[in-house]
Amino acid sequence: MTVPEKPAPLAAVESSRTADSGPQTLTVSVGPQHSGSGHMRLIIELDGDIIVNAAPDPGYVHRGIEKICEVRNIIKSIPVIERPAIIDSSNLNHAYIRAIEELQGVEAPVRSQYLRCLLNEMNRIMSHLYWLSIFGVFLGHTTMFMWPLGDRELFIDLAEKLTGARITHSYIVPGGVRRDLPQGFADEAIKRIAYFEKRLVEYDKIFFNNPIFTSRAKGVGVLPRSEAIAIGATGPTLRGSGVDADLRKDEPYAAYSKLDFGIPTRKEGDSFSRAIIREEEMLESCKLIKQILKDIPAGPIRRKAPIVVPRGEAYSRVESARGECSFYMVGEGGDKPYRVRFITASFRNMSAIPVLLKGGHMADMPTAWWSVDYWPVEADR
Amino acid sequence: MSAQKTAQDQDDVLAMLADSINVWVGKLSEIVQRIVDVGPIRSVVNWGRIYSLWPVNITTACCSAEFGAASGARHDLERFGVLPLGSLRQSDLLVAEGTITKKMAKRLRMIYDQMAIPRYVIAMGDCAISGGLFHDSYSIVNGAHEFIPVDVYVPGCPPRPEALEQAIIMLQEKIRHSKVYERG
Amino acid sequence: MILSQEREQALIKKLKDRFPSEITEARVVRRSRPEILVKPENLVEVATFLRDELGMDHANGVSGVDYNREARFEIIYHCSSLQNKETRDIVMAIKESIPRNTPKARSLISVWPGVDNFERETFEMFGITFDGHPRMEKLFLTDNWDGPPPLRKEVRFPTD
Ligand code: SF4
Repeated sequence: MTVPEKPAPLAAVESSRTADSGPQTLTVSVGPQHSGSGHMRLIIELDGDIIVNAAPDPGYVHRGIEKICEVRNIIKSIPVIERPAIIDSSNLNHAYIRAIEELQGVEAPVRSQYLRCLLNEMNRIMSHLYWLSIFGVFLGHTTMFMWPLGDRELFIDLAEKLTGARITHSYIVPGGVRRDLPQGFADEAIKRIAYFEKRLVEYDKIFFNNPIFTSRAKGVGVLPRSEAIAIGATGPTLRGSGVDADLRKDEPYAAYSKLDFGIPTRKEGDSFSRAIIREEEMLESCKLIKQILKDIPAGPIRRKAPIVVPRGEAYSRVESARGECSFYMVGEGGDKPYRVRFITASFRNMSAIPVLLKGGHMADMPTAWWSVDYWPVEADR
Repeated sequence: MSAQKTAQDQDDVLAMLADSINVWVGKLSEIVQRIVDVGPIRSVVNWGRIYSLWPVNITTACCSAEFGAASGARHDLERFGVLPLGSLRQSDLLVAEGTITKKMAKRLRMIYDQMAIPRYVIAMGDCAISGGLFHDSYSIVNGAHEFIPVDVYVPGCPPRPEALEQAIIMLQEKIRHSKVYERG
Repeated sequence: MILSQEREQALIKKLKDRFPSEITEARVVRRSRPEILVKPENLVEVATFLRDELGMDHANGVSGVDYNREARFEIIYHCSSLQNKETRDIVMAIKESIPRNTPKARSLISVWPGVDNFERETFEMFGITFDGHPRMEKLFLTDNWDGPPPLRKEVRFPTD
C-alpha cells in the first residue's frame, strides 16, 4: 500500500492526465470533518468513480491511555479504561478487571458475575443502537437517526438505575461489582424490553426490509471469509463473513456458560449481513437480560481484593459489542501495573476497511465504512 | 506624449475620487452599523442568529456520544434551532466534544478559520476545559481555549445532555446581548 | 468443559519436537494460555509452522514491553485459531527478546497480514523497526508527538 500522505496538488493531477503513461488516479481525503460522524480520515485513491486504494489515517483521538495506566493505580485507571469505548464502556471495564483478577487470583462471587453480564448485555444493546443511528446519518435516513437514539434512552435509564451513571458506569471493580440490583429493577427492565422487542419489528419494516436500504447495502463492501480470518477481523464483522466465533461461547467467562443464547451468523460478508447481525444480536441480548433477571442467585456481590498487581503476566479477553477486546498486563507487585496493553475490536477491524472499499464505488463508501462499526476513539485509545 | 499625460492625470483624478468615495462609504457604513446596533434591527438580527445555531459536524472524542444523545429523539436539540450539518461553510457553532489531541487541534483551528462570521464555540466536557482525565498525557492539548476563543464551557465527563442544552441556552442569551457587527 | 491443560501441553510438545533449539522456553501460564520464547532469528519459521501445521490462522495482537532495567525489549505476538472450534479459546503467546540498543526485529506480516497496524504501532511507541514490513511509518503519532517513542520507560509523566 503506497498511498501518499498528502493529497496530490491539483496541478500534478492535471499533468498526470495529459501524460499517457501511468494510472490516472485522484487522491481524495475524507475527514476528519465529513458529513458522517467519526474522528478519522480516509485517504482514498480514485480512478473515476472506482476506489483503487484506501488507507485509514487514525490517531485523531490518541490519548496515550496505555501510558496513563502505567502511572495510575489500578482503581484510578478504571474510568480511563472505559473512556475509549464510552458507548460500550462496561465491556472494556470487564476485560480489564478480568486481567487484574487473573493476576490476583481473586474470583468474583456468582451474583456479581451475573450482574456483570447484565450490564454487558445492556451496553451491547446501547452500542448497537448508537451504531444504527449513526448508520442512519451516513445513509441520510433521518428516521433511523432518531428512533434508535430514542430507544437507547430506555436502556440508559436502566443502566443509570443500576450504576448511577448514564454511560460511564465504572461498575465492575476487582472482586465484584459496586452496587446491587435496585428495588423494582427487574419489573421495569422486563417492561422496557417487551416494548423494545416490539420496536425492533418496526425497525425491520422501516429500515432493514426497506428496499432503499437493502439495495444500497446488499453486495456492497464484501469481505470474504478467508480474508476476514487472515486480517484478524472480529465481532459482527467476522460473523458477517460466515465464522460463528463469539468469545461468550468459545471461551465462556463470567456467567455466560450458564446462559442460553444464539450467535447470529451470515455467509454473504456484505454490508447488509453485518447490519442485520447487529439487529439480531440485540434480540439475543434482550433474551439474555431476561434470563439473567430470572436466574440470578442471591449472595454477596463483592469480595475483598487487594489494590495490588502481583508479579506476573495475564492475558484476558471479552466479547465487546464490536468484537474481541483483549488486555495483556504485566505486573510488578506494586499498585500500578508495569505495562498494560489493550487491543480493541475497532483497532483490529480497521484493517478490514481498505479491503471493503477497494473496487467499490465512491458512493458506496459510507455504507461499507460504517457497516464495520469502526469507533475511532476505541481504535486510537 | 501629452495624450499620455492627460490619461495619467485622468487616472489620478479618478483614484482621488475613488478614495474620497471610499472614505464616505466607510463613514456611511459606520453610521449604518451604529444605527443597527442601537435600533430594533439588532434584536431582529440577533433573533435570527439565536435560533439557527448550526453546529459543524466534527467530533473530537468520546463526549460525542452525549452530543449524539442530545440531538436524538428524547432531548432533541433541534427545538433550540441546533441542527448538525455536513457543510462547515453554513455552520455557526463549533462544539469541541471532548479531548482535543495535538493532531486534532490543528484541524480544528483550520475548521474554525473556514467558518463564516459570526461563529461561536462551546467547549464540551472536562477534557476540552482543562484536559480532564488525560491532563498529563503526552499527546493532548489542555483545553480548547489554547487555540480557539471559547464562548461557553460545559463541565462534566461526559456532560449530561441537559447540561449541553443549558449551554446552548446560555449561548443564546449571550448572542441576544451582543452587537451585530462584532468581529471574531 | 475440560479443565486440564492437556491440549496446551500437546501443542507445546509438538512445537518443541519440531524446533528443539529455536524455542528456548515453553510453558503453560494458565489454562488455554501457552507461551513460548523464540530466538528472534527463527521467529518467522516458528510462526509459519504455527499457521500451517497447528491452525493458528490469525494474530490477536502484537505487544511490546520495555524492560529497561534488563536493557531489552520484549515483543509478544498473540495468535489463535478460528478454524478448529475446540481450540478457539487457546491464545498462544510467541515472545522474542531483542536488545535495547539495537531495536530491530523481523516482521511477521508475511505470515499474518493482520499484524500490519500492530507492528506500525509498536514501531512508533517503542522505536522498534520491523524488517520486511512494507510501510514502516507512524500510525497514530503523525502530528501528535515528536519526542522519543512515548511508551519507553525513560519518557516520564509530570505526575509520575
Ligand atoms: S470529558 Fe470525559 S467523556 Fe468527554 S471527552 Fe473527556 S474523557 Fe471523554
